[in-house]
Amino acid sequence: MRKSRLVLAPAAMLAAAALVLTGCATEDASTGSSDSGSSDSSGDTGGDTGDDTLKVYALLPQGNDQPYGTTYLPPMQAKAAELGIELTITNSEYDGDKQASECEIAVADSETDGIILWPAIADSIRPCLEAANAAGIPVWITNADVNPEDTGLTYGYSGTDSYGQGAASAEMMCEFAGGADIGIIQINGLTGNSVASLRGAGFRETVASECPNVTILAEQPGNWNKDESQIAASEMLTAVGVENVQGMYAADDSMVAGGIAALEARGLAVEDFIITSIGNTFLGNPLVIDGKLDGTVFQSSSWDGENAVVGIYRAMTGDTSLGRDDDGSVLYMPNPKVTIDNATDPSVAPEW
Amino acid sequence: MGDPLTQVNALATSEAPNKEISTGAKVLAWMADNGIFVLTAVLIAVAVIGVEGFASLQNIADVFHRAAPIGIVAVGMTFVVISGNYLDLSVVAQVATSAVILIAVSNEYGYIPAILAAMLAAAVFGIVNGVAVGYFKANAVIVTLSTTYIGLGLLRFFSGGSIFFGPYESPLASFGAGKLGPVPYSAIVLVIMTILLSLLLTRTNFGFTVRSFGVNERATRLGGTNTGLVIIGAFLVTAFSAMIAGFVLAAFSNTAVSAMSTGYDFRALAAIIVGGTSVFGGKGSVPRTLLGVVFVSVLTNVLVLLNISFGYQQMALGFLIAAAVSIDALARRAGKK
Amino acid sequence: MALLAAVLIGVLLTEQTVFTAYSVTLGRVALVGLVALGLTVVILMGELDLSVASTLALAGVVTASIPDLGLGILAGLAVGVVVGVVNAFLVAVIGINSFIATLGMLFFLRGLALVISNEAPIKLNNVEAGIAFGQPLIGPITPRILVFILVFIGLQIFIARIRVGREFLAVGGNRQAARDAGIPVKRRIFTGFIISGVVAAGAGVMNTLERTAADPIAGSTVLLASFAAAIIGGNYLKGGRGSVVGTLIGAASLGIIQVALTLAAVQVPIQQIFIGLLLLVAVTTDPNNLRAVISSIRTLRTGRGKVAEPSVATNRSTSS
Repeated sequence: MRKSRLVLAPAAMLAAAALVLTGCATEDASTGSSDSGSSDSSGDTGGDTGDDTLKVYALLPQGNDQPYGTTYLPPMQAKAAELGIELTITNSEYDGDKQASECEIAVADSETDGIILWPAIADSIRPCLEAANAAGIPVWITNADVNPEDTGLTYGYSGTDSYGQGAASAEMMCEFAGGADIGIIQINGLTGNSVASLRGAGFRETVASECPNVTILAEQPGNWNKDESQIAASEMLTAVGVENVQGMYAADDSMVAGGIAALEARGLAVEDFIITSIGNTFLGNPLVIDGKLDGTVFQSSSWDGENAVVGIYRAMTGDTSLGRDDDGSVLYMPNPKVTIDNATDPSVAPEW
Repeated sequence: MGDPLTQVNALATSEAPNKEISTGAKVLAWMADNGIFVLTAVLIAVAVIGVEGFASLQNIADVFHRAAPIGIVAVGMTFVVISGNYLDLSVVAQVATSAVILIAVSNEYGYIPAILAAMLAAAVFGIVNGVAVGYFKANAVIVTLSTTYIGLGLLRFFSGGSIFFGPYESPLASFGAGKLGPVPYSAIVLVIMTILLSLLLTRTNFGFTVRSFGVNERATRLGGTNTGLVIIGAFLVTAFSAMIAGFVLAAFSNTAVSAMSTGYDFRALAAIIVGGTSVFGGKGSVPRTLLGVVFVSVLTNVLVLLNISFGYQQMALGFLIAAAVSIDALARRAGKK
Repeated sequence: MALLAAVLIGVLLTEQTVFTAYSVTLGRVALVGLVALGLTVVILMGELDLSVASTLALAGVVTASIPDLGLGILAGLAVGVVVGVVNAFLVAVIGINSFIATLGMLFFLRGLALVISNEAPIKLNNVEAGIAFGQPLIGPITPRILVFILVFIGLQIFIARIRVGREFLAVGGNRQAARDAGIPVKRRIFTGFIISGVVAAGAGVMNTLERTAADPIAGSTVLLASFAAAIIGGNYLKGGRGSVVGTLIGAASLGIIQVALTLAAVQVPIQQIFIGLLLLVAVTTDPNNLRAVISSIRTLRTGRGKVAEPSVATNRSTSS
């Protein structure tokens, strides 16, 4: 039957190919910028692999699909070019299973000299670390750190601390509240996303422990979107009663901009509210300068991207070793709080 | 609905014409067709009475804000669904592309070039989808999935994934924030589109052919000419609706980013089907889709007002979708007996 | 088909690592392929199951929530059975269209997974067992890949050789005729959805074991990718035509291409565009479709109103 012929032909080809090539398993394949079929160009640095170029896989959970990832990549690629590193970048879009598969590919690629890893889900990344270690490939963690019990499997970490960011934003909220009994609404990131969960927990727990006078009246996800946050904030205000709300927190500046828009749409005076968030982005920084946003936390995507590459380079050249004991194997991104006092300072110029 | 198509449908499914039909059966049959009206009315009544703040002007505006972008996509996508082609997954890419083009291009070159560019993009989407499904008779799910990948890939490649901001006091932002009484401009756009698209679907030859595709594709292809063009038309309608939804979204948010439109495909589809349009095509209408959109928007709004967490919101949504359609199906079965 | 074969040859020539590291490639294929195989059974019957992605996540969450691993695995698989039964009930007993029934379940189960897990990943109690599960068993083949191969063989035999399975195609092709022929259609629908549910749940359980943690929002990319695999494998969405082998080939092609593109260090947006173009061209240049285009062009040329050449391969039930 025609149908089974159609199906058998490629199947047979696949099987034959697999058998033939397993036999030649010891041959090194030539990698580099070639790909199959059409004339796409690969966008990474470097051309064909020579023996001197270091090949590094960057296993990331975001990239051009998010504003932060978009501004994280160019500094990373620039640094890699500077250090003579050939970079292969993946984007698992926060899917833990997909990232695990990409990790397997990185480990299986015989040319891999190092792995930059930004875990999508810290709880499920251990098998990847163990596989990399078994293959003798150093792993440098970027942006989101692994769990404490897994740090011994890594060569170092550079990045920020999502829980800490939430806590920092909470500290500002506490400070501005000044001991008064106030009610606030909380806008979270995408439900189930690790950054969202950590920031939310950081904020919630810090408020509970440091300024219990601040009560979180309602929490809803804004999904990192300004428009969804505006509607969610407005509905929360209706639900708990505008008169009971004196403050607002959002897990990032886009969402807080939406929340502020919700206040403005109701004709409320935004300056009367205590509003904090995280990011100090192109959207958030001007709001701080205008006095609408009381405080945000600066996150530098360029620092993040650059130091990921610097870190893996040091790991690959033997400057740091397994575990976190060496000098400089843990680099925390400076996360200065940004308020109206320092918003125009060039050191906290927004990057994304 | 008295158009020939529905009458033919009714004849095909009805019992022997001379059979006595009891009032009970009549009521059930009415419920089968109009269950969603009742359900929506009940939902709104319960909300007005039971949920504090629901009936306030501000909240009504919020419900409209919720309904508008998804609703505009849904009323357009109804054309694809009614034609028996399941759904158009590429609305996700289309809405984001349109929003990004509007803001990014208008920032540099002004609104007219931006709108023209967005129309061009919508046309490309509609034509590619339409040709693949209409002429090549390929499966719409795969075709629109592939155009989603291509569309989002292109968008991210060219826009670099950045957020684009409209200037602070722009006409676009004013449109996004503007209202007529409690009704935001975006909702007015939704209503106008519903009326226009409904007329397009019910009063034109084009619309008739779209619907007959869903009833009996083979007969339609055999009987008509240029039926491929009609399918292209259906996808173009969806594409232009998605484009307008993107505009409305960009106006409301005064920003645009490629991740803005996540979930629009299934959310729009849920609204369309809850409204009573059959996923097999042929049966349904644009006003019904609007009703479905209202139902889903009111429901989500009520759940947030009740401070219910996202997980429970999804459970309630899923349950009520299944329940709404179940009532429909059960009433239909009982009415036939 | 021919196009995919051509692409695969291209991959062969440029990125041999895809095949030398075949366990990694198989692992990637299994990610989507397992769910796609279970889904195929439902599609052949003329139904759809959109809930598979959420079933995957929920089963994983349930397994991780139970301290005893053995019990956890059983509970996770049981989730699949329950979901399958509910889906089948809605479709066969109440009579709702499966698209909307399983769409509702997709939302519902996703919410349930988030509620049970409190919106955060759940670590397995027995991490060592999880890591052991990820270790190669036969050569470089891990248990998950082994299960994938076994499920494929099992389902292929079921659909092709066993009477009950063969009836699935009849149910999809012409439901009324199948009923008239004495096939217990309702029972088959239950069987089909239960298979789909259990396979999806199994995928979720195994992923959780290998990852040593359950992610409540897992499976977001799996849904559409498994439909894609089934359809480019020749399965007809309205039912009655297709095969389990076809889905396997579809899933394998997608997986191989993804791995190859990653190894070739192609930029992620370009990867997306490439896969999209490939899917589009593959699905429009299927021989059936080409025949359809040629006949439409012929009709245009011979003038209006003439009867078009009847389109080939119409197992389509026109009563839908």
